[in-house]
Amino acid sequence: MRGLGLHEALGWPRVVAWGWFYQLKMQAQSGFMLMTAVIQPLIFASIAMADQQAGNHGLPILYYALGAGIMGIWSTVVFGCGGALSWQRHQGTLEPLVMVPAPFVLVLMGITLGTATVGLYSMGATLLWAAVVFGAHVQMADPYLFTLGAVMTVVSLGLLGLVMGSSFVLYRNSNAISNMIEYPVWLVTGLLVPLSLLPGWSHPLAYALAPTWGVEALRSAAFGGQPLPAIGWCLLASLVYLAVGVWLVGVVERRARQTATLNFQ
Amino acid sequence: MSAAAQVAPPLQPGRHFWRVFLIGGLISYRALFYWITPWQYIPTMLAAPTFQILFFVYLGRAAGVGSTAFFVVGNCIQICSMSGIYGMTMAISNERFFQTLSPILATPSDRLAVFLGRGLPVLISGFQTCCFGFLVSALILGFRPAPAQLPQLLLAVLVTSASCTGFGMALGSVGLRVRDVFLIANIAYFAVLLVCGVEVPLRQLPLPLRALAQILPLTHGIAAGRLLAAGRGGGAPLMDILLEGLVGICWATAAYLLFRYFERSGRRSGAFDRL
Repeated sequence: MRGLGLHEALGWPRVVAWGWFYQLKMQAQSGFMLMTAVIQPLIFASIAMADQQAGNHGLPILYYALGAGIMGIWSTVVFGCGGALSWQRHQGTLEPLVMVPAPFVLVLMGITLGTATVGLYSMGATLLWAAVVFGAHVQMADPYLFTLGAVMTVVSLGLLGLVMGSSFVLYRNSNAISNMIEYPVWLVTGLLVPLSLLPGWSHPLAYALAPTWGVEALRSAAFGGQPLPAIGWCLLASLVYLAVGVWLVGVVERRARQTATLNFQ
Repeated sequence: MSAAAQVAPPLQPGRHFWRVFLIGGLISYRALFYWITPWQYIPTMLAAPTFQILFFVYLGRAAGVGSTAFFVVGNCIQICSMSGIYGMTMAISNERFFQTLSPILATPSDRLAVFLGRGLPVLISGFQTCCFGFLVSALILGFRPAPAQLPQLLLAVLVTSASCTGFGMALGSVGLRVRDVFLIANIAYFAVLLVCGVEVPLRQLPLPLRALAQILPLTHGIAAGRLLAAGRGGGAPLMDILLEGLVGICWATAAYLLFRYFERSGRRSGAFDRL
């Protein structure tokens, strides 16, 4: 067995970058992903904003627009990344991807990050919707930190998608899990409902999930708070997800090779 | 034994209709409904709707609009559309996807029996999802509908499940021609949340959306459900239930006409199963 060469290691970012680019191109062509990333968040944003206007006006429209935007990113991650390996298997491309010299985890990372990036459509769509339809004043107190927060949110959700993509592959009915976990994460991470309204036992779960810190960072940057701590938590969550994802992909890959079940349908 | 003795005697036309309606409908449900196994059914048809109810109840509390009962009744009735919309779309348009539409349309079976039979299991599934939603809401959220109106509330749920099934039939029929009908089904499922007064009071919506809501399933059924849950019986909820039933019949009729139209045009072009 030969060791890892410098040349190969330098090629790793290229593998991730091209994987990200091609996944972005493919997902941008998918009607289902566009529905998930644009139409669905707009419907949820409209519901939340209309309820806000009918209710006590306790929270600004922009609060809901940002939350609905991250809801869209989460949905694309759940459906796009959760089924990433299953989809490659269905297309018959899983074996070639595992066989290539590049580490499989990097290939998968490009796919999951690309999918999460498509979710950014939802952020743009809900902000525009809030301004045009609901007359919200969409102005960011700190646009630079807002951009940094958005990038960190996408990266952390993409890496969370890496964990989901590699663990869901062991479960044949992964789409059922995707259907099930969309709402609870929207709820416990405080995307539309403030965490203070939720029971205390749900808070530790919220702190372990990147959308909580992502939306906190974006709201702080938009409303003039301190977004850096939340961005830092996003970074920490990303590193944890990366470590878990790398380990899980290794386990799944070894197990599939040993039992010759890489392509079971 | 002679060859003539081996041929089974033909069934009476009425019996044939019911056999295709009941047995054919059940078989098609088992074959085409993706989420029928417990591993799919529990997360998708029971757990996800439960989380949906919780999500919107908390959203309503955060926004300070409506009561817990407003969101519980709206969502518990709306979740029947998961079975109605997705189930019927699968039950009709998946025949095309699995390339089994041509053999079915080559049989002399009554088309109405083939068509309506697919709706019955979906309707029952939608009804039980609603009942499960109400049960969970009673246990978790302390929702207590007026006991005297429970039979009528169940009637409203049943009629709404039927009208959602009619709506799903129409989408499924469109799936005989359109390439990606599940995209339309997804949009329809989420759009009814906004338009039909499930999460937002109807008076809050712009006039065109309010007009659209009147011809969509759920709107009248949910209105009836809210009145009944609040203990208001009498003519108003009954009228809403009747309107809901009428909307469902209109959608089912439109669906059947579309189905026959696509069948005829498919025969002309020889392309039933073209994807």
